[in-house]
Amino acid sequence: MSAILAIARKDLRQRLRDRSAIVLGFIAPMAVAGLISVAFGSTGSFHANVAVVDLDRGGVATAFTSFLHRPELADLLTVTSVAGEADARSKVAKGDVSAAFVIPKGFSAAIDSGQGRPITVLASVDSSVAAQVSRSLAQSFTAQIEAVQLSVQTAVRAGAPHSSAAALAAEAAAAQLPEQTATLPSGTRAPTGTSYYAPAMGIFFMFFAIGFGARGFFLERTGGTLERLAAAPIGPGAILAGKSLATFVYGVASLGTVALVTSLVFKADWGPPLVVAALVVALALTLVGLTALVITAARTERQSEAFASMLTFGLVLLGGNFVFLGGAPQLVRTLALFTPNGWALRAFTDLAGGADWTAAMTPLMAILAFAFGTGAVAFALRRRVVGR
Amino acid sequence: MTALALAAAELKRVTRDRTFLFFIVLLPILVILLVGVTTASSTSIRVGLVPGQSASLATQLVENIEGDAALTTQRYATRADGVDALRRGEVTAVVLVPLTLDADLRSGRTVKVPVLVSGSLETSQAAVTAVSSVVARHGAAVQAALFATTHSARSFDANLATTTTLQRQTPVVPVRTEVVNSQSNFLPLGYNYSAPTMLILFVFINAVAGGAAMIQTRRYGIFARALAAPIRPRDLVLGEALCYLALTLGQALLIVVVGAVMFGVSWGNPLAAAALIGMWAMVGTGAGMASGTLFRTPEQASAIGPAVGIAFGMLGGCMWPLEIVPQSVRLIGHATPHAWAVDAWVTLLSRGGGLADIAGYLAILAAYALVLLGIASLRLRRSLVTA
Repeated sequence: MSAILAIARKDLRQRLRDRSAIVLGFIAPMAVAGLISVAFGSTGSFHANVAVVDLDRGGVATAFTSFLHRPELADLLTVTSVAGEADARSKVAKGDVSAAFVIPKGFSAAIDSGQGRPITVLASVDSSVAAQVSRSLAQSFTAQIEAVQLSVQTAVRAGAPHSSAAALAAEAAAAQLPEQTATLPSGTRAPTGTSYYAPAMGIFFMFFAIGFGARGFFLERTGGTLERLAAAPIGPGAILAGKSLATFVYGVASLGTVALVTSLVFKADWGPPLVVAALVVALALTLVGLTALVITAARTERQSEAFASMLTFGLVLLGGNFVFLGGAPQLVRTLALFTPNGWALRAFTDLAGGADWTAAMTPLMAILAFAFGTGAVAFALRRRVVGR
Repeated sequence: MTALALAAAELKRVTRDRTFLFFIVLLPILVILLVGVTTASSTSIRVGLVPGQSASLATQLVENIEGDAALTTQRYATRADGVDALRRGEVTAVVLVPLTLDADLRSGRTVKVPVLVSGSLETSQAAVTAVSSVVARHGAAVQAALFATTHSARSFDANLATTTTLQRQTPVVPVRTEVVNSQSNFLPLGYNYSAPTMLILFVFINAVAGGAAMIQTRRYGIFARALAAPIRPRDLVLGEALCYLALTLGQALLIVVVGAVMFGVSWGNPLAAAALIGMWAMVGTGAGMASGTLFRTPEQASAIGPAVGIAFGMLGGCMWPLEIVPQSVRLIGHATPHAWAVDAWVTLLSRGGGLADIAGYLAILAAYALVLLGIASLRLRRSLVTA
């Protein structure tokens, strides 16, 4: 046991002496998470500044303006009145407002006479969501008017006398739309940039240790220290265990520090500490498995560096560490679940989103399966290392 | 001539490494693909839908929501699946079509269509607004059909069919959208966003990480041996610079060709694009050589280099448009050359700019390149002379 600890201590000391291991394992992930926190600290939700041009001044137009000023839309919209269409166009083009509603002259009178004149939403090429939301708001408002006019038209087509259209319209206007939406809390929290990218970057930079570990092994072999260790009265299992322990401790220290610091400093939400600890340990075990796999697959130091780099970047690309995959196509999201980091990010996202700790159990099992799977393959291929 | 021969020899040595090919060729293509696919759908409002019954009114409502241009929808079998998707940011709201919707509407009862949102309603507000509009219009059709049924002998379904047709053919109060400008402040999304930004990112990252090769050359004693031959230090410096320039240009051209052929990316005005790529390659050359002279070990260059490159890429707008971050972050971002290069690509690709329009950006990038190349050349020359 003391031999295992001695080997692990020596490996860790050696690794931490290399400044790049400190930078990649600790400083870089926190710096990147900090950058993301600063960049997205105040840009979590959608809000649009819109203008209204009322060229009509009639009753329906005034009702539309009041509709836009409803308190429940205050979080969504800031509405300003603009005198003319040209001014509104200029404001939209310059980006002073995201969109503008233009209510045409004669709008109210046309509706009162059973006709309709279009409301125009002026939009910018850079504010497509604001344009869509503005359009939806206008359509929500006009739906009630539409209901009245459709009621009369349909009734007349169904056989109601044409002469009774005015009475029908008055009756239909008294009715309320039979369908409305009701917003309900789902018990979840929307993922924030910091809460997603803190673990994403922590895992990404932790995976760089695959290269360090593998390279360290080959350097020891080239330097002859492995042979000297083998000559000592300790079995090859102890050497392997010592080296694995060093990699494991480095992984836990790296990701654990990132979790702690980003939680305290950048308010990243990783989830309940115990579950996070279990996930960190599982990921560190994966690091050990992947490092062992690279060592057994590579034949030279250069090859081990190449394999480690490809593995690291392949995993983080597929797993979603670079790009938040929430909006990605289903296929890309499914592919992420072929990686341990993809499962880990799913767990961290679920936990940060308010899910119960049990939501992390399937990801935890998947990560552990990956760790033991890679470890088992490395063990099966151990002769490739021993025989060299 | 000597510098060219030295550059060719160095280039041959560096490109023989397969890892190098992975980072230069495969990784940028994969990232362009991933970022392109992911950002392509980022302007739509993503909504989950739990359809409920397959009765006619429920089906019609589901079809209306799915057919709305503002929404990208995804069906889920259960509420729990929808909530999971909401939590994971796959959708921003989930519409639960009530099981009794059809029966309630037909019997004239008012129906509330639940829309699940995450903790803060603000993040889902755009989705709720868009869904409410579709529900309201569906409600208008149902109301009209109910009204007509009470005033005629025709059945509800027959009246609903009439109402739906009328609603589609002649919207009572049409809402039309007019885009007032054509010049965007953002790069177009999809591959037109990912290709130019990843060109900036990878040319820089690979150049900085490539500084490891120069450190290796120094360690192997190749410089010292070369100086024993009748070769001047300045030829060695020039040779190294040419090698890096060839690498950065090669990387950039590869992304341009792959972007155009595989992903259909339009690179804008050819002359301006060529000037921008050339200038960015010079910045990359300077950064690569600076990395080779500033870092002490190859491991430091190949490990810290990408971390610095990623941080600069984030700050400079390669990972997200700087228009969406606070003003202070945008200002800090412009301390990196990346932000100026992204600005230049926006001018070229989103505003149809030409060489004159990006001249200012090119001048700023030239200043970065000169400073980096100056520092690197001085340090390399000093190390050669004192070697």
